[in-house]
Amino acid sequence: MTSSMAFLSSTPTKLPSFSPSSKTHFPINPFLSLKPQRYHFASVRAAEIGSGAAVVVEEKKDSEVKAAEEGNGAPVAAEVEEVGVKFEDPKWVSGTWDLKQFQKDGATDWDAVIDAEVKRRKWLEDNPESSNNDFPVVFDTSIIPWWAWMKRFHLPEAELLNGRAAMVGFFMAYFVDSLTGVGLVDQMGNFFCKTLLFVAVAGVLLIRKNEDIDTLKKLIDETTFYDKQWQATWQDEKKE
Amino acid sequence: MAAITHPLHSLTLTFKTPNPRFTPLPKLTISATSTSNRHISGRKLTAAVIGGGPAGSSAAEALASGGIETYLFERSPSGAKPCGGAIPLCMLEEFSIPPDLIDRKVTHMKIISPSNLTVDFGKTLKPNEYISMLRREVLDSYLRSRAESKGVTLVKALVTNLDVPFQPNQPYIVNYTVNNRMKYLPVDVVVGADGANSRVAKAIGAGDYACAIAFQERIKLPDDKMEYYENLAEMYVGNDVSPDFYAWVFPKCDHVAVGTGTVSSKQYIKQYQQGVRSRVHPKIAGGKVIKVEAHPIPEHPRPVRVRGRVALVGDAAGYVTKCSGEGIYFAAKSGRMCGEAIVKASEGGHRMIDESDLKREYLKEWDSRYKMTFRFLDLLQHVFYGSNAAREALVELCGDEYVQRMTFESYLYKKLAKGNSWEDFKMVSNTIGSLIRCKLVGKQMEAFDPNVLAKVVG
Repeated sequence: MTSSMAFLSSTPTKLPSFSPSSKTHFPINPFLSLKPQRYHFASVRAAEIGSGAAVVVEEKKDSEVKAAEEGNGAPVAAEVEEVGVKFEDPKWVSGTWDLKQFQKDGATDWDAVIDAEVKRRKWLEDNPESSNNDFPVVFDTSIIPWWAWMKRFHLPEAELLNGRAAMVGFFMAYFVDSLTGVGLVDQMGNFFCKTLLFVAVAGVLLIRKNEDIDTLKKLIDETTFYDKQWQATWQDEKKE
Repeated sequence: MAAITHPLHSLTLTFKTPNPRFTPLPKLTISATSTSNRHISGRKLTAAVIGGGPAGSSAAEALASGGIETYLFERSPSGAKPCGGAIPLCMLEEFSIPPDLIDRKVTHMKIISPSNLTVDFGKTLKPNEYISMLRREVLDSYLRSRAESKGVTLVKALVTNLDVPFQPNQPYIVNYTVNNRMKYLPVDVVVGADGANSRVAKAIGAGDYACAIAFQERIKLPDDKMEYYENLAEMYVGNDVSPDFYAWVFPKCDHVAVGTGTVSSKQYIKQYQQGVRSRVHPKIAGGKVIKVEAHPIPEHPRPVRVRGRVALVGDAAGYVTKCSGEGIYFAAKSGRMCGEAIVKASEGGHRMIDESDLKREYLKEWDSRYKMTFRFLDLLQHVFYGSNAAREALVELCGDEYVQRMTFESYLYKKLAKGNSWEDFKMVSNTIGSLIRCKLVGKQMEAFDPNVLAKVVG
């Protein structure tokens, strides 16, 4: 933090260069900070070496880095350093995933596309890249069809929740029947039972993990907070 | 007030007593209660407007046009307030801003997600629609001189304190320094338009508000790079540039302003600025930083916006929208509404006004007109600025033409854009779909083992 501040105050007339050491203070860069000795070479665009930038960060040695500097035809001036390595992948072609490379048994393997996109976004989160005008990113999640999402994410969760609801429902029906002698069909006719059913369904849907109870409380607070701030000026009047 | 009884207006007296049964409808109160105010004989109502920005100048102009003796206090008329400088189309019309004040007309916007998904915002803009970029010093001095031409007395001085009277009929004393001399001015009404660190707000005990800090660097680019930003503005979202706001590149008269803002992590603002710079890097490489500036932006209205015969407007009141951080239009509009409210309640400066007049004519009008806008933008900020996954969803949604059209129309004309209900339904379901998908990707990302990332991708 202090080194970056020193840069900004001492070099107001030119774009301050990015010093590798200032990156260590970045709170959101845990990945690169694990390998401090690699830092000094992280600034060089070594993406051209091998396949997959991720591999290069782990395995490159000093000699490879030098080769990259010479082999790199791009005008990377010494003081204008790129931040980290760029994301590169053979399947990532000009700003989007090349779906032809994801074929499995003749059809696109959407699960693999989702996995690849997750990896890419995770990489970018840890190593933010500058936006590129030559190959703008055009891949967004709507390219993946809805049924692929359903199959992978919704169905297992739905199975889980329905299972919970069924278990709760069966035992509650049995319990109430044993206490009151009222069978399942007659239970459904009762208003109180219907209310309990509604509460049970809502509970299964909204509270899936223990943390959800707190999350819901916070959500209710948050949604009404801004409104309270606007109403604050009228509270005076009510007090008078 | 109780001393002045008028047989025909007995209803007005009951309005002042705290009688819960008498909650008069707005239509009844407006004409009845104003006449219960004391008539001022021998002089006009005097008003002091503290702060000569868009809010103060508009308030002063409205007051003076209505016949009130107005004094506008501004401590540095030539100062350049750090600001985005973007104003919507409706402001040009409503406030008669001459077109030669506009430095640039932004017709394209790019929104860039954390994974660099880039969306071109502005495909639906008609040829005569644009976002005007101005220099604040140019706009402010124009509005001030126009106010002066309407009869406002400009006082170039720093207001040090506002003395609130103990008796209800005593004037407010504005203490100010000019040329190292302390002076004071007694006035009937005060309009506080002195911005985020308002002294007027402190004097009346208006309470505090949470502020965001906006930090920007003005960078002079080489000509070919500047051409890219000819009429294009960029917006970056992501945890690397701001945890709860966005980062921007706005073109100004002959340079660009690159900046970011945050509410929750003010101590890391310099790192977020570095984050923006690296994201924009190829487009600003070779540029020179000519100025670095920062300013607080209020996040929500102050708990008290009117007290006694003092009203707050603009940034001092906290009228900055969330999500976009727009404040110039609302400052000017609130200033004008407040000025007009005072003129109406005092019947052109002939009658004294009081707190209930200000609340009824200014606050209630303002809240009923703009509260929904502010609330909606607050909702958008909560939903879309919370996490990287939500930001990805936001950028995805912005690719849709209908969304773009609705957004721009609402922004440029400050009116709820007329939409078609089938498109609205599609937009809502797309919103839900995008949010769900991006959230799923986000959850997968969280569960992702970083060691796996290091192995060969694919």
